[in-house]
Amino acid sequence: MSAHISSHPYKGPSLTRQALAVPLLAVVVAGGAGLWVTAEVPAADRTAVAVFCGVAAVLLAVALAVAAFRSRSISRLQERVTTLEREAAAKELEAARLADETIPAAVRRLRDGGSADTVLTQVTRPVSAAHQRLLRVLVQEIGTGERMRASAMAACANAAGRVQALATTMLADLREMENRHDENVLGDLLKLDHTTAQAGRIADSIAVLTGARSGRRWTKPIVMESVLRGAVGRISAFQRVRVHAASNAAVAGYAAEGVMHALAELMDNAASFSPPTEEVHVYVEETHTGVVVTVEDGGLVMGPAALARAQKAVSSETLDLTTLSGTRLGLAVVGCLARKHDLTVSFRPSARGGTGVVVLIPQQLITHVNQDAVLEPPARARAVEASRQTAATASAPVAERGGSAPAEAPAPEAAPAPETSSPAPAPGAPSAAQPPRPVNGLPKRRRGETLAAATRSAPAPAPDSGKAKTSRPCPEEAGARFGAFRQATRKGSAAGAARNAESPASAEDTEPAESAEPAENDQP
Amino acid sequence: MIRGALDNEDPDRLYTVTGGRSRADESVFDMVTLIVSECEPVPGMQSEHARILRMCRGPLSVVEISSYLDLPVSVVKILLCDLLDTGRITARHPHAARTGGRLPEPETLKKVLVALQNL
Repeated sequence: MSAHISSHPYKGPSLTRQALAVPLLAVVVAGGAGLWVTAEVPAADRTAVAVFCGVAAVLLAVALAVAAFRSRSISRLQERVTTLEREAAAKELEAARLADETIPAAVRRLRDGGSADTVLTQVTRPVSAAHQRLLRVLVQEIGTGERMRASAMAACANAAGRVQALATTMLADLREMENRHDENVLGDLLKLDHTTAQAGRIADSIAVLTGARSGRRWTKPIVMESVLRGAVGRISAFQRVRVHAASNAAVAGYAAEGVMHALAELMDNAASFSPPTEEVHVYVEETHTGVVVTVEDGGLVMGPAALARAQKAVSSETLDLTTLSGTRLGLAVVGCLARKHDLTVSFRPSARGGTGVVVLIPQQLITHVNQDAVLEPPARARAVEASRQTAATASAPVAERGGSAPAEAPAPEAAPAPETSSPAPAPGAPSAAQPPRPVNGLPKRRRGETLAAATRSAPAPAPDSGKAKTSRPCPEEAGARFGAFRQATRKGSAAGAARNAESPASAEDTEPAESAEPAENDQP
Repeated sequence: MIRGALDNEDPDRLYTVTGGRSRADESVFDMVTLIVSECEPVPGMQSEHARILRMCRGPLSVVEISSYLDLPVSVVKILLCDLLDTGRITARHPHAARTGGRLPEPETLKKVLVALQNL
């Protein structure tokens, strides 16, 4: 623009010269014509005609001069208009490129975590200064916004993780207290337990939404009944939930917490959107694609639009934080968990009058626990039972023992006790289902456990087998035991100094395992 | 310590096991009441009920059941109450069995105590 304005004075003189040439020519031609006309007319009129011709020639010259000047300026203006139009089009193009390519690229880089300055150097700079300024302001503002979002998310995740850790510890403590106290205190403890479980669920929800890890990880597959109970226990109106489940399927340990949490959110929705007198029914059904859990309420019927919205909330590709309303986080949490564990969640109107939610837990998360093996009484119980039985058969009166007694009697001999004590999972079930079992006769130590504890917890086959019931131990065994004891004490006294030096190291070794839980929770 | 407890914990809270109750309706049970199951567990039953029915084929005291189920005695009493109400178990008090039995003489008890201390 400025270039144009400055170029104008250069053109001025030449234009004036050209503009002057035309009227001069016109004056010459008109003058010639006037002279000729003056020469032709009679002498009496010659003066008047000469004056008239002169005036006409001057007027014509002026008119032509003006017209020429105008036409020049019009063509000049047209030129300027075309150049301006061309430049405007170029600017339009540049602005479009800025809006369509540069700014989205810059925003993408900012979202990926680049700082404002880095992003400004990486993107293609627009030519015009105004655009550059615009881009800089925009990138800086968005960068600040992104930084604020990221730090707010991290703070939330961190806080949620801490609350989760506290809730988990508190639940374990409460459970321990519930074992210790009698029924006068039990009611109060259960109430606290329930409240803490709900608080834990809220912390879990925030953790899930902020992308942190879920509350805790189970080290073994959790049977469906426990999963449902774990879910039911986290909602306030748990007494209105009726569970109809006869499945012995178990959810893999790493996914159990997520499944529980998702089901808890759905049950909580069902319970809070149905009248307090209505019950929420939960059905479990096994199909070839997995386990289907249906949560049905008899509450409000969701319209097609509401159903579609709910469906979208649980099945969208990514979590959109802008769709979160402050009060209803449940479905967004379910959506996150469903994405994480490949759960399929669908809503439909329920035949009971309310809404039904169908959750499909995929087959790869499902293992089958042999319920009968789990339900067997522990080995000690069997041993006690067996000894009672032998006592009972010896002292003839078998009053209360019905038909089950003869079938039961050979069992302890036929099946060794340690075999029945551990749940025998179905073939293909992961080994996490089993308690640490001696491999090649050696005790297996779990992480964070001392070797002594492992050997103690491992089932000792010798005392539980039939030999244990003979009151007198055989002498070879006693000799071997004494030998081992002697060897151990001798080794211990010899390596006493070494062990003293070693013990701080071993203490340090076990400590991180114990403190690992809170430390992990601290991380977003 | 806590870690071990966390590892062995189950996700089901006690109030979900008892359905929100914290107190047995009747006080027919004490720690040493002997329980005998009267029927086999049926599918769809609460797993604790099924386990009690399985382990009580022979008489078993309340406190033993509590130990095997790893549940507090008061919770086990609530579960047993349910089973008793539906007639699936019978409960017997052990002192009913030794009617007329007297406690040993204090002298004898003292001797046993001394002998135990000498061990």
